[in-house]
Amino acid sequence: MGKLLYSPKLLAIAIAAIAALLVSVAGGALGASFGLGFLGGPIPFISIPAERVAYIGSYPLLNSTVMFWVGGFVLIFIAWRAGRNVKDIPSGWQNLMEMIYEFFSNTVDGVAGGTPKAGRRFLALVSTIFLVVMIINWVGILPGVGSIGRIESIEEWVHHHAAELEADVGASNPEYNQEQIEAAALVHLLEEHGSDTFVAFDGIFVPLGQGEQARVPLNKIVSFTDADLHEIELAIEHGDDLAHVGTLESIHHDIEAGVVKSKFTYDVGGDKETDYNFTGRTAGLLVPYFRGASTDINTTLAIAIIAMFTVQLWGFRALGVRGYGGKFLVNPITKGPIATFVGVLEAFGELTRTISFTFRLFGNMFAGEILLIAMAFLLPLIGIIPFMGLELFVGVIQAYIFAMLTLVFGVMAVASHGDHDSHAEDH
Amino acid sequence: MEALGITLQQLLTQLVSFLILFFLLYKLAYGPIMGMLDSRAQKIKESLEAAENARLEAASSAERVEAEIASARIDGQKIVAEARDAASKLREQEQGRARVEVETMIERARTDIGREKDAAVEEVRKEFASLVIAAAERIVEGSLDAKSHSKLIDKVLEEGLSKRNN
Repeated sequence: MGKLLYSPKLLAIAIAAIAALLVSVAGGALGASFGLGFLGGPIPFISIPAERVAYIGSYPLLNSTVMFWVGGFVLIFIAWRAGRNVKDIPSGWQNLMEMIYEFFSNTVDGVAGGTPKAGRRFLALVSTIFLVVMIINWVGILPGVGSIGRIESIEEWVHHHAAELEADVGASNPEYNQEQIEAAALVHLLEEHGSDTFVAFDGIFVPLGQGEQARVPLNKIVSFTDADLHEIELAIEHGDDLAHVGTLESIHHDIEAGVVKSKFTYDVGGDKETDYNFTGRTAGLLVPYFRGASTDINTTLAIAIIAMFTVQLWGFRALGVRGYGGKFLVNPITKGPIATFVGVLEAFGELTRTISFTFRLFGNMFAGEILLIAMAFLLPLIGIIPFMGLELFVGVIQAYIFAMLTLVFGVMAVASHGDHDSHAEDH
Repeated sequence: MEALGITLQQLLTQLVSFLILFFLLYKLAYGPIMGMLDSRAQKIKESLEAAENARLEAASSAERVEAEIASARIDGQKIVAEARDAASKLREQEQGRARVEVETMIERARTDIGREKDAAVEEVRKEFASLVIAAAERIVEGSLDAKSHSKLIDKVLEEGLSKRNN
């Protein structure tokens, strides 16, 4: 401490750190309770499905796919630099790639039996899984991922959600015409999502200083009452001309405008209710352009399917169709019903492994993303720093776990069951 | 499924994406690096063997050099000893010859001296005899012929010489 006071450089750093801490505490969620919270943004809309950012023809491009390929290109670049001119005396990228590859080469050989080249058949997939999962985990926590995006207006949001409902309504009420289906779907949507909250944007940015309170419920943007909805429903059922139902028209108009129409109160806890006035601001949802690919179940499921499918392939190739298939399909007459049951359990186990692969990676990375969001919200400036480090660590650990489990399952699949074979010979 | 966002379309997208990535990684990095690692392992094995061979060769050649040096030293010693022997033999020979020469020279000298002496003595004797004869002639004027005188003188001288010699 004494040293600190005499060194002006250290003192300045210490003061700056303390200042940053105070500013971030005051500007974050804690300060928001005392009327500060000037650094707080709204909590992003946390959606488990990845969001669509664009349509290529009719194919919806997801933000997680974008990030998968960003990571993929980084990996391809490294691989290209490492492999384009391999030399006996390695340098640069080749060193890096060789280090990783040699580590996995030794690991797979060690797990697969300890002799050199024993695990060669597992090497390519295991190291690819490690590299791909690690890189998509890492690019997924880059700044800007999940926080830069476009505003999905209320109109678009209604359109997307109503499209799903229209299919249901059309299926259950085949006598409706298109107009009736659309109106009924809209009524369902408003009934279900009337209190969903949207973000009140100031232009294209979220206004600073309003913290999490910049969220507006749907019914403050589209004004309707339960009576209005009931009236529309009756009109649909009676087959009236919907063009002349005034409330439906005003609802459509509000949706198209997508602006906050009235003041509202927001319960921030305690006994006081605070008034918020965002009247006239555009409301919508932030659709991030980028989202970590491992926070999308499609990605993790795809890798898990490839891993487990390849494990089965290894098993069949090593033991033959009868040898490997005999693990799962056991003849109840010759081996007894218990063995048959065990075989079914084994088959079920393979399925369970796929699912546990999927959700282990997804759960960890999705939770990590939410943790980062929460820390950015609680301690805006500095809270995220240690957790970024933690997420880097989690990213590589999860990749390693995925790769190692694939390897272990693969080794288990190719191992012939000595006791099974001897049993077969006994009978 | 819908709530989790799993759709067949996106699942297939990610499956295909992963497989493409796998293929590209294999083509770009794993193939070359695996080949390189194998060839490097082979090379290392070969150079270790070569080093072992070189080490053995070096050890054997050092042994050979040592043996050569030892044999050369023995040879040298032998040559030096031989040379010394030859030198001493030569010296002895020379000495022997010199001695023999000296002796012959001495002998010859002695013989010469003896002969000279004999000749001188003969001459002296002849001289002396004639002198004595001449003297005796003068003393004994004709009483004796020359022949008997010389006989007498010879006898005397003989006696005299033998006495002196004894």
